[in-house]
Amino acid sequence: MKVAYKHLISHIPSKPSIDEISERFFQLGHEHEIEDKIFNMELTPNRGDCLSVHGLVRDLAPFYEIDLFSDIYEKELKKLDIGFVNHAPEACSHISFLKIDIEGEITPYGGELKEYFKDLNNNKKNFFTDISNYISYEMGQPTHCYDAKKIGNFFSLEIIEEEKNFHTLLEEEIVIKDRNLVFLEDEKVINLAGVVGDKNTSCSTNTKSVIIECAHFNPEEIIGKSVKYDIKSDAAHKFERGVDPLCHEKVLRRFIKIVSDHANIKNVEIYKNTFVDYSPIKISFDVEKISNILGIPNDKKSFEEYLVKLGFGIIDNTIIVPSYRNDVKNLNDIAEEIARVIGYNNIPATSFQMSPANEATDIKILEQNVKDFLIKNGFFEVINNPFVNGEEDCAIKVDNPLDSNRQFIRTNLEKSLTENLLYNERRQQDSVKLFEISDVYSIDSNLKTKKVLGIICSGRVGKNYLDFSKKINIKYIRNLIKELLPATNINPINIDRKSLNTKLKNEIIYLELKLDSLNDLDSDLISKKNRHLKEHNFIKYSPVSEFPSSSRDLSFSIKNIDKYYEIQEYLLAYKSNLIKEIFIFDFYNNQKNNEIKLGYRFIFQSKISTITESEVNNIMEDIINHTLSMDSVTIPGLSK
Amino acid sequence: MSSFNDIKPPKLSPQFGSMHPINQVKDFLIDLLQGYGFTSVDGPEIESEEFNFDMLNIKKTHPARQMHDTFYVNNKTKVLRTHTSPVQIRSMLDSNPPLAITSAGKVYRKDDDATHLPMFHQVEGMYIDEQVTFSKLKDLIHKIIYAIFGQEVQIRFRPSYFPFTEPSAEVDILSESGKWLEVLGCGIVNPIVLENCNIDSNKYSGLAFGLGVERIAMLKYGVNDIRDFYKSNLDFLNQFK
Repeated sequence: MKVAYKHLISHIPSKPSIDEISERFFQLGHEHEIEDKIFNMELTPNRGDCLSVHGLVRDLAPFYEIDLFSDIYEKELKKLDIGFVNHAPEACSHISFLKIDIEGEITPYGGELKEYFKDLNNNKKNFFTDISNYISYEMGQPTHCYDAKKIGNFFSLEIIEEEKNFHTLLEEEIVIKDRNLVFLEDEKVINLAGVVGDKNTSCSTNTKSVIIECAHFNPEEIIGKSVKYDIKSDAAHKFERGVDPLCHEKVLRRFIKIVSDHANIKNVEIYKNTFVDYSPIKISFDVEKISNILGIPNDKKSFEEYLVKLGFGIIDNTIIVPSYRNDVKNLNDIAEEIARVIGYNNIPATSFQMSPANEATDIKILEQNVKDFLIKNGFFEVINNPFVNGEEDCAIKVDNPLDSNRQFIRTNLEKSLTENLLYNERRQQDSVKLFEISDVYSIDSNLKTKKVLGIICSGRVGKNYLDFSKKINIKYIRNLIKELLPATNINPINIDRKSLNTKLKNEIIYLELKLDSLNDLDSDLISKKNRHLKEHNFIKYSPVSEFPSSSRDLSFSIKNIDKYYEIQEYLLAYKSNLIKEIFIFDFYNNQKNNEIKLGYRFIFQSKISTITESEVNNIMEDIINHTLSMDSVTIPGLSK
Repeated sequence: MSSFNDIKPPKLSPQFGSMHPINQVKDFLIDLLQGYGFTSVDGPEIESEEFNFDMLNIKKTHPARQMHDTFYVNNKTKVLRTHTSPVQIRSMLDSNPPLAITSAGKVYRKDDDATHLPMFHQVEGMYIDEQVTFSKLKDLIHKIIYAIFGQEVQIRFRPSYFPFTEPSAEVDILSESGKWLEVLGCGIVNPIVLENCNIDSNKYSGLAFGLGVERIAMLKYGVNDIRDFYKSNLDFLNQFK
């Protein structure tokens, strides 16, 4: 909601600066941004009463003298004879209709109406709709204008459940369905109540006779409708958050006044009806309890002053909540009002102390030990969301999925982990070892959870000279899990690549275990230590490259033992922004010939572009030149 | 002089994997809260509307309950929990005060764009006892934020609105760039929620708070795109050893 600073301070005689008001709004919990002296307010959904100039100024009353005086039409109003029937009194407790007939020309907009359109750069529609929009901005009460010549004398408010076509005044054809609160005339919808009126009965620039509807709708009947029918509606935004049921006469008298400022009124009549009596919320003014909620000294005089300035009545130690504050229901709400005025940041903190809590549960310790074991063996933990396109009958269906590919909850982790593995293979990873621990659900288990561990791996066993040429297979995973679970029979599976979009040939091994079945965890691996305040270092993340990598291998023949160590030190310390990884993939000590062979793999990748041949060659040349300058070091195939 | 028989093979550098950074931050927060006296408890991710909304004073009209915000499952008989707060409801129904619990885990909202994911993680805490005040809540929140972001960080409390707490606050920290960043929501447990859980609100009061794990992880690690956490990219995960 946009509100001009100028319009706010027109009600505050001391004219505080825009920065001061901004600070007060933050103190009150009204987030906003300011652009060109316009506040763009982001109000919490419980504060529908602040969705207007008057509402916001009212909330500033504890800090400033305020003056919410607005000129209204003061004369007595004739009764409007209208054939309106309210068939949904629980959805509309109060309603008024005002009929105004004007004659002659409408003068150019002046006063507040002119400023509203100029300062907020709003688009004009037609005379009556423009006033309606302005009144909503100034006072917070939406009104709807029907052209009196286009609407008959008999219409009703009803909750309907059947489908109806509806042509909105925003020129959209929609079909309303399920439960809707509507105004009907001859079975035709003339207004989706509290959201938008219809095209056929709306005002135009030619309208000279208008019926203005001013209602209090139950938010439950309005909520969700604008989203459901994709209608942007300021009225719905306000009705959903609740409006003041007792403001109608003042709002409509204000409406008449603004009309009379711009046109000659020929006739004006009003219809008012209350279907459910309003009774104000009353809360016992328990000052002791308020100070206990906030943890501040009992200061009845100040508490009372704050509340009165915010519009609350206090009679015989009872707080009377004003009709526009539908969010205040109990003493905690009252404590919040007082805290907002004091300022949350001005409430002192008092010591909070408890003894440390009990140790982690056995299942948590077990989970952590399983994770530690897998991480130690080169596995990376992943987290996947549970939505899959569903291939199993026992999968739970999402009633409102994000899309058809995510309409079931996964019953196992295989599919997610396979996707993770293929994603990394496509990114040139030749050794992928992943695991996930997650709850899975199925209809079979009556929607009950089971926590499972999924492990997937493929490619090289490791990136070192011992494991480089070994490939991950069923035996590898069996041996690994035997270290963790010596007595458990496991059934890893080999995922068939034929059904996957991949040309690689490496075996994909997958294993899934129910976590609470892991009861034979190797005792040496279990540490039941409490993990309170474990040392944790937060690294500074460096964005990963989205560009392809390139690799080069070098094999060194070394006959001087000192150089064997020197070459390792040199390459361990070698730094370049373009080198992603260096590791030894081959080592052979030929004692018979007094020769060592060392094979190095260099993986290159740039963070800013696809790495070029010449960039790689420059670095390789640097490494080759340096290493070949060492005594007894040769690179087979390359001469010194 | 040493001979080729004595040569040490090249050192095998450990090839560790890593725990997922979100779980690292989650565990860090749980450890922290356990140190303050909160016991860690878990609950189901598929929840009833009663525990996820009704008991928490989230009325049928609340926008969060609409089909466009909450995932409904199994013919609308259940929801994917939208926060970890139902775990607090279960704890209050199971145990008598005093009660100090923390619940952490996955939560779901029907969002999927550059800054929102349909699944993310929360860590929440709740303490119910006699004489629990807003000023005590402030002290606890200061402790938590100083532990996460350092003693020097500047903190600001702003009034906010959550149906299950009253008064409610959002807490911001001042970033190095001079911008206030929201890091946490908290408040005094609404007495309606206590009464819903058969706890005498005249005798007991409570405090509650919740942190978004992804939010904390992004700030602490300097990750700018929340989606990076869930690509399962080894180059990404490899940094969090």
